[in-house]
Amino acid sequence: MSTVVTPAPQRLRRSLGHKLRIAGGIVVSIVFLFPIYWMVLTSFKDQVDIFTNPPTFFFTPTIAAYVEYMTRADIVPRLINTIIVASGSGLLSIVVGTMAGYALARIRLRGAATIGLLILLSRGVPPIALAVPMFLVARKLGLTDKHITLILAYSTFLVPYVMWLMRSFFLSLPRELEESAMIDGCSRYGAFFKIIVPISLPGLLSTLIFSMILAWEELLFALVLTNRHASTIPVAIAGIAGDTVNGANWAALTAVGTITVVPVVVFALLVQKWLIKGLAEGATKG
Amino acid sequence: MRAREEGKGMTIDNAPVTGDASTRRLGRIGDLFVRWSFLVPSIVLLVALLAYPIFYTIDISFSHFDIASFGADEWVGFENYREVMGDYRFWDSLKVTLIYLVVALPLQVVLGFGIAFLINAEWRGRGMIRALFIIPMVVAPVVAGGMWRMILDPLWGVMNYWLGFLGIGPLDWFGDPNLAMAAVIIIDTWRWTPFIVLIATAALLALPKDVFEAARIDGANWWSTLWSVAIPLLMPVIAATFVIRWLGAVKMFDIVLAATYGGPGKATNVVNLFIYEEAFRSLRFAESAAMAVIVLILTMVLTGLFLRGSRKLEDMF
Repeated sequence: MSTVVTPAPQRLRRSLGHKLRIAGGIVVSIVFLFPIYWMVLTSFKDQVDIFTNPPTFFFTPTIAAYVEYMTRADIVPRLINTIIVASGSGLLSIVVGTMAGYALARIRLRGAATIGLLILLSRGVPPIALAVPMFLVARKLGLTDKHITLILAYSTFLVPYVMWLMRSFFLSLPRELEESAMIDGCSRYGAFFKIIVPISLPGLLSTLIFSMILAWEELLFALVLTNRHASTIPVAIAGIAGDTVNGANWAALTAVGTITVVPVVVFALLVQKWLIKGLAEGATKG
Repeated sequence: MRAREEGKGMTIDNAPVTGDASTRRLGRIGDLFVRWSFLVPSIVLLVALLAYPIFYTIDISFSHFDIASFGADEWVGFENYREVMGDYRFWDSLKVTLIYLVVALPLQVVLGFGIAFLINAEWRGRGMIRALFIIPMVVAPVVAGGMWRMILDPLWGVMNYWLGFLGIGPLDWFGDPNLAMAAVIIIDTWRWTPFIVLIATAALLALPKDVFEAARIDGANWWSTLWSVAIPLLMPVIAATFVIRWLGAVKMFDIVLAATYGGPGKATNVVNLFIYEEAFRSLRFAESAAMAVIVLILTMVLTGLFLRGSRKLEDMF
């Protein structure tokens, strides 16, 4: 009743609350984005501008840190290694994980539910429990410091991840799709590869990209299983950040950090719609 | 999480099998083969790379480790376990991990849902803000650690500069044990809250609008609507978010390594970093394996409990 009698103040109050919400949202966004802005900004600073109090926002930009690190340190080979490992483990996991996700979503298999639960539980295995034996086995087989070792190591967390996301994705597809295909004489493989995979491409792509991001930023296995030839960017960053002898080299840290982050951010923003959908669904339905 | 629903008819079992009995049987075996062929590659991969290493860890944890041959030689029973259980440094690292988890997880879940409420107010910039909120999520944790180390630097950091305006500080973020823990939690919260915001956004958008309309007509104020309508409706998602975040948080390693390296002293030495150091710096593989097994069991038990708890919550609401 009161809403009918006095509509004006009600609407006013609501719009004030609404405005506060918008303002709060903007403030929070700025707070969360500032550290990245500051890192990128610092990467273009001179040493003099970095070590100054109060911190400076306006300065003459320089790319000295980038030039120095791209030429002197082993950043370029590391970048290439990281790309190889991220794509390799991403592709391996998307193929294997998608097939398994499809099996769990659509094919009746004795014991599949138990296997699915085990694989879900495996997401709780601390990587350190795998790092020790992997290091020892890789050392015995002469596989340390090789790309393939890291690719396989990363698939331990990427396959379950892909499986779970794709399982919920396949569950959301209408079942008539492959049923009609199979009645038309398609084999199971045919139904999967000719019908299901093509219509799932956007979901597959976003899952692939997110898997590659997870591999891109992985640190523990890279620290343990590589030392020179296959070493990745996160290891280099850990090294720069942990350099207590020379003190933190912030120019290097921020430059390499920016190089690491920018391509990933670009990719993430490109597929953000699918990323949001896939992640949110994987999380709430998983 | 809903594995129970499996096999309740979401399958295609009416594969067309024709012909006489023998070819039918052949077809059925063939079909069984085809069905399993979808699952087998991942099983093989995970058994070789996940199950086998775990068993190997267990094996080492019960053995004496020979550094010369770099392998486990002699079975020693529970000796390694006795040793690490008597090691106060291991207990300290477990305590540090527990403090981190107990503070960070609830903080991140509450912040995540709160921020999701804020940024989902309807206006023109909503889509952009939602997209921008993804960015911290894809910053490598090790980069996040390094970057924040610079921001929190006691001398040159921009954080202390700003806190100075509020009359606080200068704070020695990495010199004081409590502040160092706070720093680690701040960095972790910065990195992971956007992920929770993302899930919370999906959950908030899925809320039924008419219930809130009804509450408003009944004269419920904002606070009571929140507590007796919104939160009960969101409870299953909140529980699921908590479990997912837990699964990530128990792996805490990169941020601590880059930001504090466990310091000052051992104030932020989470258990993963401690085991890493023991294994790969001190080369105490057998003891590390024993600790890894203990952590693995703790994690599995707690994950099982949380999964069960979240399912119960789902049934309750």
